[in-house]
Formats: sequence, C-alpha cells, structure tokens
Amino acid sequence: MELQPIFIQILALALFAIGILVAITRRNIIFVLMGVELALNAVNLSFVGFAKTLPAELSVAGQIVPLFSIAIAAAEACVGFAMVILIFRNRESIDADSYSNMRG
Amino acid sequence: MLLHLLVLAPFAVALLMVVNSKEDYKAATRMAILFGLLFLGMSVALIASGNTATTPVEWFKIPGCKGPSYYYLYSHGLGAWMVFLSCGLSLVSLISARGILGANYRNFAIGIFALMGAMNGTFLAADAVLFFFFFEAMVIPAAILIASFGGEKRKQAAMTFAIYTLVGSAPMMVALWYLLTIADNSLLVSLAVAIQSVPESTQLALLMSFLIAFIVKTPIFPFHGWQAITYSEASAPLSAILTGAMSKAGVFGFIAWVLPIFPFNMQEVSTMVWLGLASAVYGAFMALRATDGKKLLAFSSMSHLGIAVAGVFSLSEAMLPAVLVLLVAHGISAGVQYYLIGVAERMTGTRNIDEMGGLAHKNPAFSFLFGAAGVMALAVPGTAGFIGEFSVLLSLWDLSAVCAGIMGFVMILSAAYVLRFIQKVIFGNPAREYTEGKRAGHLEGFAYGVMLVLLLVFGFHPSFITNSLNLNEEEVAEQVAEEPAAEAPAEEVVEEEEVEEDVEPLESHIVSSADIAKLDSSLTQAGFSEEERKELIKQVIETEANMAKATAYAAEKQQREEEEARIRDAANKGYEEFDVPMESQDESAVKNEEASND
Amino acid sequence: MTNIPLWLIPLFPLLGTIILGAIAVTSSGNKKGAPENLIGALAVILPAISFACVTVLAVNMPASGFRETICNWIDIPLLKVNIGFQFDALSRIMLLFVTGIGTLITLYSIGYMHGDRGFTRFFAYINLFLFSMIVLVLSDNLLLTFLGWEGVGLCSYLLIGFWNKDLKNCKAANKAFIVNRVGDIGFLLGMLSLVTLGGAGVLNYDMLNHFISMLIAGGHVELIMPMLTITCVLFFVGCTGKSAQIPLLTWLPDAMAGPTPVSALIHAATMVTSGVYLVARLSNLFVICPDVLNIILVVGALTAFWAAFAGLFQNDIKKVLAYSTISQLGYMFMAAGASAFDASIFHVFTHAFFKASLFLGAGAVIHALGGEQDMRNMGGLIKKTPVTACVMIFAFLAIIGFPGFAGFWSKDLILERIFTDCNWVITGSWLAPVVPMNKIFYVVGLFTAVITAVYMGRLIIMTFFGSYRGSKENEAHIHEAPAVMLIPMIVLTFGSIFAGYLWADYMGVRVFADSLAPVLAAAQSFDPARSLNPDILLSEFIPRAAEHVNPIIFAALGTLAAVVGMFIAWKGWMHAHIPAAKGSSAPEGYAAGWTFMWDYVHGFFVKVVNVAAWICEKVVDAFLQAFQWTLGSIATILGDGATVFQVRKVRLQLGLSILGIVALVVVVLLTGGLV
Repeated sequence: MELQPIFIQILALALFAIGILVAITRRNIIFVLMGVELALNAVNLSFVGFAKTLPAELSVAGQIVPLFSIAIAAAEACVGFAMVILIFRNRESIDADSYSNMRG
Repeated sequence: MLLHLLVLAPFAVALLMVVNSKEDYKAATRMAILFGLLFLGMSVALIASGNTATTPVEWFKIPGCKGPSYYYLYSHGLGAWMVFLSCGLSLVSLISARGILGANYRNFAIGIFALMGAMNGTFLAADAVLFFFFFEAMVIPAAILIASFGGEKRKQAAMTFAIYTLVGSAPMMVALWYLLTIADNSLLVSLAVAIQSVPESTQLALLMSFLIAFIVKTPIFPFHGWQAITYSEASAPLSAILTGAMSKAGVFGFIAWVLPIFPFNMQEVSTMVWLGLASAVYGAFMALRATDGKKLLAFSSMSHLGIAVAGVFSLSEAMLPAVLVLLVAHGISAGVQYYLIGVAERMTGTRNIDEMGGLAHKNPAFSFLFGAAGVMALAVPGTAGFIGEFSVLLSLWDLSAVCAGIMGFVMILSAAYVLRFIQKVIFGNPAREYTEGKRAGHLEGFAYGVMLVLLLVFGFHPSFITNSLNLNEEEVAEQVAEEPAAEAPAEEVVEEEEVEEDVEPLESHIVSSADIAKLDSSLTQAGFSEEERKELIKQVIETEANMAKATAYAAEKQQREEEEARIRDAANKGYEEFDVPMESQDESAVKNEEASND
Repeated sequence: MTNIPLWLIPLFPLLGTIILGAIAVTSSGNKKGAPENLIGALAVILPAISFACVTVLAVNMPASGFRETICNWIDIPLLKVNIGFQFDALSRIMLLFVTGIGTLITLYSIGYMHGDRGFTRFFAYINLFLFSMIVLVLSDNLLLTFLGWEGVGLCSYLLIGFWNKDLKNCKAANKAFIVNRVGDIGFLLGMLSLVTLGGAGVLNYDMLNHFISMLIAGGHVELIMPMLTITCVLFFVGCTGKSAQIPLLTWLPDAMAGPTPVSALIHAATMVTSGVYLVARLSNLFVICPDVLNIILVVGALTAFWAAFAGLFQNDIKKVLAYSTISQLGYMFMAAGASAFDASIFHVFTHAFFKASLFLGAGAVIHALGGEQDMRNMGGLIKKTPVTACVMIFAFLAIIGFPGFAGFWSKDLILERIFTDCNWVITGSWLAPVVPMNKIFYVVGLFTAVITAVYMGRLIIMTFFGSYRGSKENEAHIHEAPAVMLIPMIVLTFGSIFAGYLWADYMGVRVFADSLAPVLAAAQSFDPARSLNPDILLSEFIPRAAEHVNPIIFAALGTLAAVVGMFIAWKGWMHAHIPAAKGSSAPEGYAAGWTFMWDYVHGFFVKVVNVAAWICEKVVDAFLQAFQWTLGSIATILGDGATVFQVRKVRLQLGLSILGIVALVVVVLLTGGLV
C-alpha cells in the first residue's frame, strides 16, 4: 500500500491532539512544555505532508516553513525552560496549578 | 536632510545615550548637552532655510484605506519655530537637570531625546498618519518621564496625563481612518478634498473628533483636568518642555490640520473663540487662587493658550503671525518660569508659594531672573509677549469688541496673579526656616538669561519670527499646488522600476488631451498593457483635478484677501495720498447711499 | 551740531540701565556692594548727557521739528509699525523737564539713598525709568508711546516696591501696577479702535493728524462719530490710570511707599503727567469729540476738588503731597477738557518744578527726622533746617498761586481759559433755561484753589512752625541735608519761582504758548459749535463768545483765593494744639470715609473678582474633578468586574483559549467567513 497523503495528515492530527491533551491535563510544567513541543512538531509534519501533495512550485513553502518553525520552537523551548527554572527557584514547585498569581 | 535629522536623529541619540554608564553621569551630561546644542543649531538652520520638504516615501497602507501613507516631512515657518522651541527647551532642560538628578541623569536624557524626536515629528509631519503617529508617540516618553522624575503623586499624574491625552485623541484616530477610506492618500490636500464629499452631519462629527484631540492637548476648558496635576507633579525641567513645547502641539494642530482640512461655519468658529476665551478667564481665575507655584504656572499657561486658541479662530488676516509670536513668546517665558520655580523649589524645599518668600535678599541674582521672567510673562511692551498679545488682541477686536474686552480683562488678571506670584516667592521675609538647597549653577543661570534676552530681542524685532511666515505666505499657493504633484512621482516610482522612463506630463500643471495621448503612446511603447495604461491615465487625470481644485481654492482665497486688502487700502489711502482717492471714494460712498435710498 | 541723532537721547539712560543693572546683579553677592561714588557719578552723568543733547536739539529745532525713523518694528498683516522718533514743540518741552528734573533728582538721590543696600539697583531703575519716559514723549507713534507708557508703569512698580522686605510696600506696588494695567487696557483698546478706523498707519501721529483733517474736510466725522467717541473715551481711560484721575486714582497715595526721590520724580513731576501729555498729543482727535472733552472736564474738576479735600485730612506729609498732585492733575485735565491744551502743558511744566521741590523738601525733612513721616510728630523745623524750609515755602507759594510765582501764572491761566474757552451749555433746566458750564467749572476751580492753599498751608505750618512735637532722642539728631541734596532742591526752587515767566500774559510774554503753537494751535482753534453738526453730539455747545472779561479780574480772584486759603490755614493750625501721633498716620472717621471712597469702589471690584475666582475653584473645578473621578471610578469598577473572568489556572486558561480557537474555526466553517 502506497503512503497516502491523508495518512500523514491523520498522523499529524493525532500527534497534535495528544500534544494539546498533554499540555492541558498534566500538572507537571515540564510535561506541559513537552506537550506544546509535540503539538508544534505535529504542525511541522502537516506542512511536510502538504508539501508532498501540492504542485511543485508551491511545495517549496511547505518545506521551508518547518525549518523556520523548528528554529522558533528551539528558541521558545529555551525561553520556556529558563522561565520554568526561574519560577522553580522561587516556588520550589513545578506544579502548573501553583502558578496562580498571574493577575489579570 | 535637516528634516530627517531633526526627526530621526533624536531617537538615535536616545539609543546612543545608553552607552553611558550610570556611575559616570558627568560623561552622560556632557554628551547630552553637546547633542542638545547640535539639535538647537539644526533647528535654527531649519528656520533659516525657509520652506523645505523631503521626498515623500511610501510608508505603509492601512487596511481599508484607499491610498498609502507617506513618510513625508515638510517645514514651514510655524512648524520650524515650534521645532526651535522643542529643541531649545530640551537643551535647557538637559542643562537644568544636570546638577540635580545625579546617577539618573542618563535615563532622563534618554527620555528627553525621545520626547524631542516625537515633538519634532509632530511639528514637521506633512502626512496625517505620520502626524498622528508622532502626536501619540509624544505621550509615551512624557508619561514615563513624569512617572520617574516627579513629585510625590507622580504615578497618579503620569496615569492621568497618559489616559487623558490618549483617550482624547482616540476619536481623532477613528475620524482619520474614516477620512482615509475616502481620500486618495493621507496628505493634507487629499483630506481637504475628501471632506467636501462627505455629508454635513458627518463633517461635523469628524470635526468634533479632531477638535477634541487638540482641545485636550492644549488644554482648553473644560478638558484641562490633566494639566494642573501633571505640570505640578512633573519635575520642573520636564514641565517646562511640556508647557513650552508639547502643549503647542494642540494649537499647532488647530492651525496646521483642522483649519485647512475642515470647512467651518460661523457657529463653530465662534464656539471655539468663546471656548478659548473661557479657558483664558478660567485659567486666570484659577491662577489667582493657586498656592502651588507650579499649579499657578500651569493655569497661567492655560490662560495664555486659551488666548492663542481664541486668536486662531478669530481667523483674521493677522492671525497666523500673531499666534505664532504669542506661542513662541509663551513657550520661552513659561519655560523659563518653570525652570526658575524649579530652582526655587530646590532651594526652599517646597512648592507652596505661601511658604517661600524673601529670596530677593537671600539670592539676588536668582530673584533678578525670576522677577524679569515674571515681568516678561506679563506682556510688557518690548517683550515678545506684548507683540503676540497685542496682535492677537487686534485679531479679536476685528472679530468683536466684546472678545477684545474679555481678553483685556484677562490681561489685567494676569498682572494680578503674576505680581502676587512674584511677591510671594521673592519679596518679603522668608515665611519659615529652612536649610537652603542647591542653587542654580552658572551655566544654568546663563541659559535662563539667554532665554530672557531672546524674549527681549523678539520683542524689539519680531520680524525674526514673522518674516519666516511672510516667506511662507508667498509660497503657500505654490505649496498647496505642489503637494499633489509631489505625491504623483512617488506613485510613479513603484511603477517605473520596470519602465525606467520618466513620465513627463505628470510634472506639468495643465493636462490637455494631447498630453494624454502622448502619455498613452509613450506608455504603449514602454510595453504597458491596455488596462494598466487606462489605470495610469485615470490617476493622472484625477491628480490633476485635485490640483486644479486646490489651485482654485488658493486663488479664491487670495482673491478674497486681495479684496479685503483693497477695501482697507482704500480706507488708508485717504491720508496716504490725500488728494484724489478720498474724493473718489466719497463719491462712490455717496452713490452707494443714493442707490440704497432708491 | 544740529544733526544729533534723536536715538541718542534715550540711548544714554538705557546704557545706564544696562551697566548699572549688570553691576547690581554681579555685586549683589558681596557684602559691601559697589562703590557709591562711582555708581552715583555714572547714574547722574548719563541722564545729564541726554539733557545736554535735548538742550542742543531744542535750541536748533525748526518749527516743524525733527522726525527720524529708526527701523521697522512690527510687520504683520493689519499692523505695520515703525520705531521712530519725533522731536517737535511738545516733545521738546516734555523732554527738557523730564531729562533736566530727572538729572537733578538723580543727583539728590545720591544723598538720599546713601548707605542703602540696593544703591546700585535703585539707580538702574531710575535710569530705566528715564529711558521709558523719554521714549514715551519722543516716539512718533502710539504703539511706541505705549512701550514707554508701560515701561514707566513697570519702573513705578519696581521703585514703589523698592524696599521689598516689607510686604506693605510690595502690595502698594502691585496695586499701582494693576490699577495702571486697567488704564493701559483702555489705551490698547483705544489704539485698536483707531486701527479699525484708519488702518495701522494712523498710529503714527502725523498720519493721524492728516487722517483727521481729511475726515473734517470730507465731512466724514458724522459717519464715524460713535466709534470716534469710543476711541477717545478709551484713550482717556488710559490717561486716568496713568495720571491718577477718578476712578483709577487709588494707587497714587499708596505709591508713596517708595523712596521719596521716586515720589518726586515719578509720582509728581513726570510719569503722572504723561496722561496730560497724551491728551495734548492727541488733541486733534479729542477736539472733534467734544462730548469726550466734556467728560474730561467733569472728571478733572471732580478729581481736583475731591483730592484737594482729601488732602486736608492727611497726616502723612507725603500723602498730603500725593493728594495735592492728584488735585493739580485734575486742574490739568480741566484745562484739556476746555481744549486749552497749551495751558495744561504749561501747568505740567510749572507743576513739575514746584511739586518736585516740595517732594524733595519733604524728603529732606524725612531724612532729617530719620524716617518720620507723620506731620503730627514734626513742628518748628524752620530753625533746624532753614534751607529746606525756604525751599518748601517758596514751592508752597508757587502751588497756591501766589502772585509772581510759577503756579500763579499757570493756574490762573487755566481758570481763565476754562472761563473763556469752554462753550458747553446745558439747556432745559427748570431753574434756568441755559446753564453755561464754564462759569460752574470756574467756580469749582477757584474753590479748589482755596482748599489747596488751606491744606498746603496746614502742611507748612505743621512741619516748620510751632514747636517740635516728636520724641526727644530724635530731636538731637535733626540736621540739614547734605549739599548733594540741597543743590537740586535750590535749583528746582528757582524753577518754581521763575518758570512761570515763560508765559506771563499780563507782562506780554508768550514764549511758551508760541513755542507750542505749531502742535496745538490747530486743535485749540477748533470750535465744535461751528464745525460739527450738532445732531451728532450728545451735549450742546454755543459758539465761542467774544465776550471779553478783563484778565485782571481773574488774577485778582486767583490771588484772593490763595490769600483766603492761607488765612484759613493760619487761623486753623498756627496756634492750635496738635496732639502727637499715636499709631498709624491714616485718617479716621469721616475723613477716612472721604479719603478711601475710591478704595472702597476698587475693593468692590476686587471682591467680585475674588468671588468669581472662588467659584471657579470651589464649584466649577470641584465639579469637573468629581466628574473626572466618577468616570475613572466607573472604568476601574468595570475593569475589576472583567478580571473575574480571568481564572488563575494556567492549564485552564490554555484549555479555554483552545476552545476559543475551535469556536472561531467552527463559526468560520459554518458561515463561510466572519463578516
């Protein structure tokens, strides 16, 4: 059976859903960040999948955008972890629910 | 180049100031004052160079708007003098803050330079969107400076200031956006043309939105709530800039934007005159009762600017030079008064004028400056204030004697509150014991002295100021006509990148059908498609139509002015060439009378 | 030598101001101050040079005078004004005594101000004053005159409040400036209405005269009569401020808080007469508004009478002289109101001499008594200070119009001219069908002359005769003034005796009148009853009568008034027991009511303004603040309410925002777009 483009999209959707679910349900802030990363990578996968499907002159975008996205994800992870570490120093906790002093 | 430098370089300098370390604040002082001098020099050069403009550069296109906005700076007499005020007062503020802020000086200087850049941008912008951008941008450094270097209630003051002015200009933003959706682009002339196609009720709403923004900024009664607390809580050097230069943005907006864009009816004009006079009287009354020295000056500023606004809307022929001289005089004299009350506050440790007193004996040199500044704020003849107030009085008298009478009343009140102020601060005996704080340094005193001398110089030779406008007046018709023409090549630049050919007919002022045919053929040669050609030609014709409208408008205005001038000349000729013209005029008068009798 | 440029005249005092001001500011730090001799010499020499220039020019002046335009001043649409000077007959007289008496009084001040901490500052102000006064009388247009006009007001303010440690002086100074400001606004508005009538060009005096002659020749006076009347009234308001006439006169008595030479120079001899100068300068304008001249006449008469009466009640020697000044100014305005402008200028001229002598004499007395100003603590000083006493007695004879002295010539001339030149009548009264106003004003003037002699006699008697009533320790220190003070006094005394002979009609000398003729003759020969349509006037006039009264009768009546007054004073105070002063020297009881009548009126207006200001602050501003606060509070409450929706759980927020995105996507998919 040949690899159908739709399979890639289904896989990406599944990964994205898992990532979001992890981000929402886990209380450990590190898991939350992992979930976000997973969701991001799912989107990258979706891009690549579309790059395969679409006509040649448009597929370039589908291949380039993930590169950007990976770079940004790396940066975001850095910042995110730095923040987590700083908050941990203050709070001695990585429970996301204990970060409840964000005033609106 | 000068224009770009004056607007953009202050921001660059503000960034550059960051390199100074906090510990060695003296270095920051030297650098800031040096740059301040440089900008002041540039502003003087700007005044000397007369009317100049930069090439318009397309900046961005706001979604929903018909045309683009430009980065386009334009200097005329009014704007150039306002830039002079902003640069000059910034320099003196930098000098004045030198000894008192210590390690914080660097941050102060950064704020001042940013504020100066924004103010210069406001006064030089030729594009409505650019103007609005800088008009709003002024608020941010000002609010930050108030919040960081003020008195006890500085946070509250900064908040009041920011919210009041930003909320005040919000309607203007909406109105501007609305105008841009129907105007070709965001230049003055296109807006003025666009407003003609709007129904009258909408025109009124748009006018209101514009007016509110400038009324709040000036401020005019009853929207002055932010002023007293802001000026009194901000540090004195900053208050000087706020009142001397920034509040002028309001009056400047009336003259440079509201008046040219909107068609006015008599009722709106007289409402504005009365509002101006009301705030003049109100400010004078409040100043009479104020015990906080800086509040007193704030209300006196309000009073003077109220007079300026009333003068603007008197719409007489002498209005522009009159108001300009008044603004420059008020900028300098109110500025120097703020610096001096700042020094007094520093020496006595209080702003309450009931607790000061006796400085004439403790510090005669300071008191000399203080008294002289007060007297010059009174518009004694021989100072620039007198020229301004007298000519504004003349404009108001032209409008109605009652207005002039009210302004005369305000002038009497101003004598009352200024003399009370002088008496309480420097005369008599000290009201209480205190340890004297830091006195003004030599450089500081010298700077204040120069400001006072400037007032005298402008008082005896106001042509320094008014001539820059004469130049403007002669060129104004050309300028009005040139603006759309200037914009046209800018549009072409985008198109011509491929063509590499100048489309000459755009430069000419009258487009005949032959010209269009020629243009069409040259475009065909250059390889444009049918539709592109049509589009371009349509643009050309539209631009020409706009230009024709503007020229017609200018011509009509000029004609009206000439007619007025002729009537007046006819009256004057009676004694100048007192033989024939008087007689002939008599005859015509008699004829008129007869005709009316019939 | 004739081509001395005119701008040199004001230049020297200006130089003096700048140099002395610079010295005053720089030397303020050190304890000793600058050397007095040097400062004094500088302060006297510069005005003296000006005086020399004026003299040379005065001698060589052609009948039409000199004109000089220096440069352009204001050049805007509707208003083009040059800085220009005009040295004609009127300016000549004014300049001669302004610079001359100015120099003398500056010399006197060196002695008077000796040892004062503000010595240099004082002379800087005096020079600034002379500069402004010279500009006032020398300028060739109204706007430049106004520069001098406010300039002298400013100097008056600075000098009244010279001893600024005492807040009382500062208050007097403020009052002077503010009351003058009221008058100045009148002046300003007058200029504006003149500009409306004839364009900015008519601010120039020559142009104005042309303009008026054109109006008369073209018969246009009727058309602009209402505007013209308003203009003249506004100018006269300016004059009442500067020359302390009803109702703007309260500042002058208070102005005596300044040093005495200042009172002599500014508040007696020169500045306060600038109102009279202005009326004479604009005489061509005023004569075509005879209604306004009548107002001037009434105001002048009322002021002369009221101030003379108030002078009777004063105990402070300087206050007596202040009220006497106001009264004499009233005489000058009466003359101007009867369109006898040359007589009014003549009285300005003689008055400058004798009033300056009186003030300088009073200054010498105060100096001798160590600052005592209350006449009840004086007495018998003729033995201790004979020169001062002589000076004052001669000046006294001059002011009451004793035959042969300066005041006799000028005051009698005024009374005579009121009688002959005033042709205003009031008709329709049930008592008499035609009331000739000239007789009424003549009687008022004569009666005022009697009172003048009474209060001046009282002053001389209380100060110099009888026995000394002050404290014992003071008595030992009484001394004659130093020579530097005596010399100017003596020179001025000669002036107050002989100045009158420049225009002694009975002796056939008319030098003064002839010299003024080129400027004023045209205006004085203008007869409203003949030249103007009576319908446009509010008051009625009869053609000037050729009725001839022997001038000797006027002289005799004038002399009689002086003698009667002196007799009353002698009877009343020569042998009366005068109780020594306790507390303040201000009058009490009904005298206070009379003296401070106009202060009460002013107080009313001040009260109104204060109440209005109070309303502004406590009602209007409070309301606006409350409104502002309410708006702010509403915004805060709404914001607080909105924060309720802001849950403080990170995960929940994340979940909610994802839900939001889903909802958006669903909406877009279902409706095919948001809009």
